[in-house]
Amino acid sequence: MVERVAAAAREAPWVEVDSLSQVTEDICRPIGGRPTVLWWVGFLLALSVLGVGTAAIGYQIATGIGTWGLNRTVGWAFDITNFVFWIGIGHAGTLISAILFLLRQRWRTSVNRAAEAMTLFAVMCAGLFPLIHMGRPWLAFWMFPYPNTRGSLWINFRSPLVWDFFAISTYFTISLMFWYVGLIPDLATVRDRARAGLGKRLLSWFSLGWNGSYRVWQRYEIVYLLLAGLATPLVVSVHTIVSWDFATSVIPGWHATIFPPYFVAGAIFSGMAMVLTLMIIARATMRLERYITRRHVDVMSKLVIATGGMVALAYGTEFFMALYSANQYEQFVFMNRALGPFSWAYWTMVSCNVIAPQLLWFTRVRRHLGAVFAVSIFVNIGMWFERFTIIVTSLHRDYLPSSWADYAPTSIEVATLAGSVGLFFTCFLIFCRFIPVIAMSEVKGVIGTPSAGATGQPERPPERLPALAGMEA
Amino acid sequence: MANDTAPRYWRNLDERDAGQGGPCGTDEFIEPVLPDLFPRRGFLKAAGFGLAALAAGCTRAPVEKAIPFLVNPEEITPGRSLYYASTCAGCSAACGLLVKSRDGRPIKLEGNPQHPLSRGGLCAVGQASVLELYDNRRLAAPQRRGQNAPWAEIDTEIVARLGEVRRRGQRVRVLTGSVVSPTLQAAIGRFLSSFDDARHVVYDALSSAAILEAHERTHHVRVLPHYRFDRADVIVGVQADFLGTWIAPVEFTRGWRDGRSLDGTPPRCSYHVQAESILTVTGSKADRRYRIAPSQTGLLLRHLARHIADRTGVALPIGDLPPAPVADSELADLATRLHATRGRSLVVCGNQSLDDEVVTNLINHALGNYDAGATIDLVGRPSKQKQGSDRELRHLLDEMEEGAVGALFVLGANPVGDLPRFHAFADLARKVPLTVGLASSPDETSQVCTYVCPDHHPLESWADAEPVDGIVSICQPVLEPLGDTRSALESLAVWTGTPQSAYELVREYWERVVFPRAAASEPFETFWDRAVEQGVITLPTAARALPTVDLAVLNRIAPLAPAGTRAINELTLVLYPTVTMLDGRHANNPWLHELPDPISKVTWDNYASLSPATATRLGLGEGKVVRLEAAVGGAGKAAMELSVYVQPGQHDDVVAVAMGYGRLGTERFARVGPQWIDAQPATEGDGPVGVSVAPFLELTEGTMRYTTRVVTIAAAGRTRPLAATQRHHAITASPRLGLAATVARPIVRETTVAALAAEGASRDRSGHEPIRPDLWPDDHPYAHRWGLVIDLNACTGCSACVIACQAENNIPVVGRDEVRRAREMHWMRIDRYFSDTGDGSVDVVHQPMLCQHCAHAPCETVCPVLATVHSAEGLNEQVYNRCVGTRYCANNCPYKVRRFNWFTYRHDDVRANLVLNPDVTVRSRGVMEKCSLCVQRVQEAKAEARRLGEPLRDGDITTACEQSCPARAIVFGDLADASSRATKLAAGGRHFRVLEELNVRPGVGYLSVVRHRPAQGDDKRHG
Repeated sequence: MVERVAAAAREAPWVEVDSLSQVTEDICRPIGGRPTVLWWVGFLLALSVLGVGTAAIGYQIATGIGTWGLNRTVGWAFDITNFVFWIGIGHAGTLISAILFLLRQRWRTSVNRAAEAMTLFAVMCAGLFPLIHMGRPWLAFWMFPYPNTRGSLWINFRSPLVWDFFAISTYFTISLMFWYVGLIPDLATVRDRARAGLGKRLLSWFSLGWNGSYRVWQRYEIVYLLLAGLATPLVVSVHTIVSWDFATSVIPGWHATIFPPYFVAGAIFSGMAMVLTLMIIARATMRLERYITRRHVDVMSKLVIATGGMVALAYGTEFFMALYSANQYEQFVFMNRALGPFSWAYWTMVSCNVIAPQLLWFTRVRRHLGAVFAVSIFVNIGMWFERFTIIVTSLHRDYLPSSWADYAPTSIEVATLAGSVGLFFTCFLIFCRFIPVIAMSEVKGVIGTPSAGATGQPERPPERLPALAGMEA
Repeated sequence: MANDTAPRYWRNLDERDAGQGGPCGTDEFIEPVLPDLFPRRGFLKAAGFGLAALAAGCTRAPVEKAIPFLVNPEEITPGRSLYYASTCAGCSAACGLLVKSRDGRPIKLEGNPQHPLSRGGLCAVGQASVLELYDNRRLAAPQRRGQNAPWAEIDTEIVARLGEVRRRGQRVRVLTGSVVSPTLQAAIGRFLSSFDDARHVVYDALSSAAILEAHERTHHVRVLPHYRFDRADVIVGVQADFLGTWIAPVEFTRGWRDGRSLDGTPPRCSYHVQAESILTVTGSKADRRYRIAPSQTGLLLRHLARHIADRTGVALPIGDLPPAPVADSELADLATRLHATRGRSLVVCGNQSLDDEVVTNLINHALGNYDAGATIDLVGRPSKQKQGSDRELRHLLDEMEEGAVGALFVLGANPVGDLPRFHAFADLARKVPLTVGLASSPDETSQVCTYVCPDHHPLESWADAEPVDGIVSICQPVLEPLGDTRSALESLAVWTGTPQSAYELVREYWERVVFPRAAASEPFETFWDRAVEQGVITLPTAARALPTVDLAVLNRIAPLAPAGTRAINELTLVLYPTVTMLDGRHANNPWLHELPDPISKVTWDNYASLSPATATRLGLGEGKVVRLEAAVGGAGKAAMELSVYVQPGQHDDVVAVAMGYGRLGTERFARVGPQWIDAQPATEGDGPVGVSVAPFLELTEGTMRYTTRVVTIAAAGRTRPLAATQRHHAITASPRLGLAATVARPIVRETTVAALAAEGASRDRSGHEPIRPDLWPDDHPYAHRWGLVIDLNACTGCSACVIACQAENNIPVVGRDEVRRAREMHWMRIDRYFSDTGDGSVDVVHQPMLCQHCAHAPCETVCPVLATVHSAEGLNEQVYNRCVGTRYCANNCPYKVRRFNWFTYRHDDVRANLVLNPDVTVRSRGVMEKCSLCVQRVQEAKAEARRLGEPLRDGDITTACEQSCPARAIVFGDLADASSRATKLAAGGRHFRVLEELNVRPGVGYLSVVRHRPAQGDDKRHG
C-alpha cells in the first residue's frame, strides 16, 4: 500500500505551473473580473434558449400534455428520454469526485469541481421532466410521503417512480453537499482576495470561517473522505433505480434484468463524454490549458472507451437474450428496433455510441482535442437516442398490434428539450463566473514546476495523501 | 307532534297566562344555553363566513347555484333512474327501447328485452340518437322562408294555401321515408283524403324497393318479407349486409347469432356464405366469403339457381350462362347444402337489381323457404320496415318537373340531400307553390321549403310503430319538448282541420284499430296501460295462404349484359351505408362520426376504398387524395375528391365510398376537438364532414342503384391522412422484421365447427387451466369477482357497445385531429384483425377490447400515488381525483386500454351536457381513465338488492356494453360464483384469456371464434 502511494506521489505532475500563487491567480482571474465577449455570447444564447423552453413549458402546462406528440400507446417519449439523459450526464460528477478520489486518481483534481457542478445542473434539468410530464403537475407534491388528512393516504411504495423520487433527491442532496464541502477552502481563498462588500460577507459566511490551519485541514480531509464513501454507492444506485422504471414493467424491451448495469455504464459513458465536452470548451475559452492538459483528456477518453465497450456489450446482450428467450414479443421488439419505423434512431445510437468511440483506441486521437471533442458530442447525441430508442420503440409496438402507433415530437417538445439544454448552460456559465472552476486547493497537491520536473516539488500545501495513507493504515 | 287533545302543562303562572305552554318538554330551556350575545347559529355563521373568506382565495371553480325542485314531481326521486319503454326512431327498423331517465331527462337508450324483434339489442345509431335530443342545432320554432314565425300564423297560411290548392284541384303529395307508425300512416291518409288528387309517396334513402317489386312479380304481393335468420341453417348473403345496415340489422344479428349458438350436440352453427364486392360486417363473419364484382351478382345467382333447379326439380328456366365468378364445384357444394336444409335455408340479395331479386325469390321458392314456419315470412307477418317505391318517386319527380304538384309535404326524409340529382330536386321543389318540411333539424330539404314545421325528437312525442305486421310498439315522450316544436301527427291533424294532440291521436288509433286486432278479453284501458308499460304488444295474425308463384317470370328478365371492356382507370363505384352513418340522417351526431367504422376503423370521414391490388396497380397509397368522376344524366358530370383507403378483401374492380356524408350542418364539427397551436380542423376547408355521394346515385329501371356507376379515378396530387383508430391490421407483422414478427400472436383463438364437435363431451377444461406461479399467497378470496366473457364468435363488430359505453360513461368526443394522433377516448374498442385466405378475400376477427381487470394488474403496481387500485370485488379502479397523470400505468398496460385526458375536452354546450350520466364523473385534464366495468351499475344493482333485502342474482347487473349487444356476445357475471353464467362460460372449452402467459390474470375472458372450414387442422391460432 505504502509503495503504491509513493508511486502515485512519484508520477509525473499533472499540472505544471511556476508557483502556487500562480494557480490562485489563474483560477481566480475570471471571478469578479469583467466577463469576456465570448462569455456574454454564450450566456445570452443559453438564456434565450432557456426562455424559449420556459415559454414552451408554460404553454404546455396551461394547455395540456396534448401539446406533446404522445398518444394512447406511447405515453412517454421526449419527457422521460430527457430525464434519463440528464440523470446520466449527472453521473460523471459523482464518479470523478467520489470513486476516483477513493481510487486516488490524482488527475481528477483538475476536473472534479466542474464535473460536480455539471452533475448538479444536470440533475436539476433531469428533475424538471418528471415534474412537467405529469398531467397535473400542480399536484406533484402528492409524490411526497407526507402525513395528510386524506384518511392517511400514502404513496405507493411499490412504484418505481417513488423509488426514483427518493433516489434522485438523495443523489442531489449528497452531490450538493459534496460539492460544497470541496468548495470551502477555495471559497476562503476567494474571500481573502475579495474587496470588502456584500460579496466578501457572503463568501465569509459560506466559507464557514476557514482559516487554513492544520486542524481545519485535518477535519476537512476526514469529512471529505466520509462524504466520498457515502456518495460512492449513489453512483450505482441512482441509475439502477432509474432503470427499474423500465425493468420492473411488463413491456417487452423494458422488462430486462440487464438494465441496471447497462444503465449505470451508459450513464458514466454519457457523463464522461459531457465532462469532456465541457472541459475542452472551458480549457479553450478560459485559458486553462495548463490545468486541463492533453493527459487529462487522454485519461478521460480511456474511461469513455471503457464504458462505451460495456454499453456495446449490453446492446449485444439484449439481442442475444431476445433470441435465447424464445419469447416472440421480445424478439419482435428488438427486430423492430433495428429494422422498424424507428430504425433510424437505433442506428444513430449504434453509430454514435459504439462506432464513434472506437477512434479513442488510438493515442493520437485521444490527445487530439478536436477529435475527442467530436467524439464526445457524438456520444452525447448517441446516449440521448439510446434512451429514446428504449422508451419509444418498446412502447409503440407492444403486445396487441391493434394498438400499435407511431410517435413524432411536436415543436413544444423540441423546445422543451432545447430549454433544458439552455438551463444547463445558463447555470454552468454563471458557475464559471462566480466560483473557481478548478479546485485550487486540490490542484495544488498535484503540481510541479516546469523546471523542477517530477521529483522536485518545491512547495506543497499540507499533504493530504499521507493523511489518507495514515487513515487507511 | 302537538295535537289539541294533549294536556297542557305549565311551569309558572306567567306561562299559563300567556297560554304558551306546549306539551311538556318542548320548551324546556327558556333561558338560552348560550347568551344571546353569541348564539350557536351566529357562531357557526361567523365561523363559516370566516372559513369561506379564507377559502375564497383558493376556490377551484366558481360555485353555480343549483335550484332544487320547489314542488318535487311525484314520480321522480333524485338519484334514481326511471326506465320508460319506447320505440327507437333511429331508422325504420323500429327496435324496442328502454329510455333511462334520470331526474326528468333521458340520458341513455337501452334495448327493450321484451321486444320480440330486437330482443334487448340496440345498435350504435339507436343508442347515439339520445344525443340528438340535446342538439343545439335542432329547430326551436317553425319557420317561414328561413325566418321564425309563430305556429298560429304558419298554420293559418298553410291552411289557406291548401284551400287554394283544393279549389284549383292541384295535386298534393306527401313525400316520406318508410312510415312504420300506423297512426302516422292513418293521419297522412286522413290528411290526403280531403284532396281530389293526393298521394303519399314513400322512398327510402337506403332503398330495398327492388325486393318489394320482385315479390310483386313473383308472388303478386308488393311487400317486404320478414326474414327469419334464426331459423336458417344455411345462409347465403349476396350483396346484403344484413348484420350491419340492411333492413333490420339488430333483429337479424340476433337471429343469425341464435343460429350459431353452438348449443347442443352437435353444436348448432349455421353455414353462412357471403358473396359481396366490398368487405362488410356480414362478410367479416361468413364461413365462406366470395369477392365478386357488382356486375357478377346476377351471374352468380343464376348459376346458383341452375344448381338448385338441378337438385330440387323445380324448373327454373335459366338459359346458357358464361362461367360463374366462383368455382362451380363450390357453388355445387353450396347448392347441395341449401337443398339439404330446404325450408331452413335462406338466400338474400340486396343489390337493388330487380332481375337479381326475382332470381333470388325463385331460388328461395324452390328451396321451400317461403313455406309456413320456414325462413321467409311473406304473408304471415311481413315487414313494413322498407316501403319505399323508387318507381313512385320517379313519377313524383316527373310531376314536379311538369309543374303539376300544388303542394308538397316532406316528412322524415331529405330528398334534396339523398337523391341523385342533387340540385335538381331543389329546383323542382321551387316549382311547387307550397312546400312544407317537417324536419326537426335544418337540412338540405328544409332549406328549399317555404315552411318548416319542426317535428319533435322521438323522445319528446307520442307515436307508435309496427315494423313487422302484428308487432306494435309505443313511442312515448319522456320529457317536455325542449323547443317550440310540434309532433308531425299534430301538424297533420291541424292541417286536416281536426286539431288533436299526438297522445289522443295515438290512443284513439289504438282503441279503434289495434285493440280490436288484439282480440283481448281485457278492457281497452288495461290493454293500453300494458302496452305503454311494456312498450310492445304482439297481435295475432290471420293465417293467409301463400300466393302461387309464376315461374315464367324468369323468362321476362333481361339477359345478362356481356362484360364490357374497361379503361385502366375505370372502376365500378359502390356506394354503401356504414354502420355509423347509414343514409346520413344522423350526420349531426358527433358520437357517430367518432365511432370507428367496424371494418376500416376510420372516423370522421368517408373515403375511397380500393383493394390492395388495385391500389398498387394505380400507384395509390392510403391517404392519397383521388378524384372520382362520372358522366351523369347526359352531359352532366359528377366529381368528388376523397382520400384513399386500402381495404383488403374488396373486389379489385371496385372503388367503394360511404353514403351519408357531406351533410349540411356538419361544418360545425370543424373545430370540435381541443384547439391548440398544432390542431388541425376536422374537415377540409371548414366544409362538411366527408363528401356527399348523392350525385353518383342512379335511379334506373325503377329502382335506386348504388353499385352500377362506372367512374374514372385519378390522383389529385395531394395527401390527406385519414383518422383511423387502428393502423395495423394483422396479428402478424411484416416478415421484414424477422421471424418473430411472422408468428401469430396468441391473441385470438379460432377453431372449426368440426373440431368443436369432435371435442364433444371432453369440453370441460377444468384441469386444463395452466398453473401459474404466484408471488403472493392467495389469501384474499374475493367476495365477488366481477368479470366479462365475450363470445368472439357472436361478436360482429357492430360497435353498439362502443356507443353504449360512451353514453354510459360520459366519454368525450375528441375530434378528427386527435383521433389521427391516436388519442381517441373510447373505453371500449373493437380490435379487428385480418388474415389472408389466399383467394384475395380475408378472414376477419372482431375482438372487443376493454380494461381486462387483471388480478395482478401491471398498472396498479406502478402508480406512484395509488390512483389505480384493486377493489375487493376484483375491479381495477381508477381514482380520478387522485391521479396526477404520470401515464406510467398506460405504458405498463399490455392491452393498451387506458385513456389519458390530453386536454380539457369540451363540455361547454350546456344543452348537450344534459346527456351526461350523473353517476359518472366527467374527467378533467391530465388524468387517466378506462373501463370501470360500469362500477356505477354494479353499485346500483347491489344497492337495489340490499334495499329489497334479496341476494344479488346473476344477471341483475348488466354493463352498458352487455345490455345493448344485439348479438348477446357479452356476459357479465361473478366469476367467484360457480353458478353464474360467466363462470360456466369460462369453464367451457372455447374460453381463453388474452396474453394469459403474462400471468396478469385478467377478469375478462373470450370465447374462441368458430367457423365452418373444410376439413383441416383444428385449433388454429389466428394468423
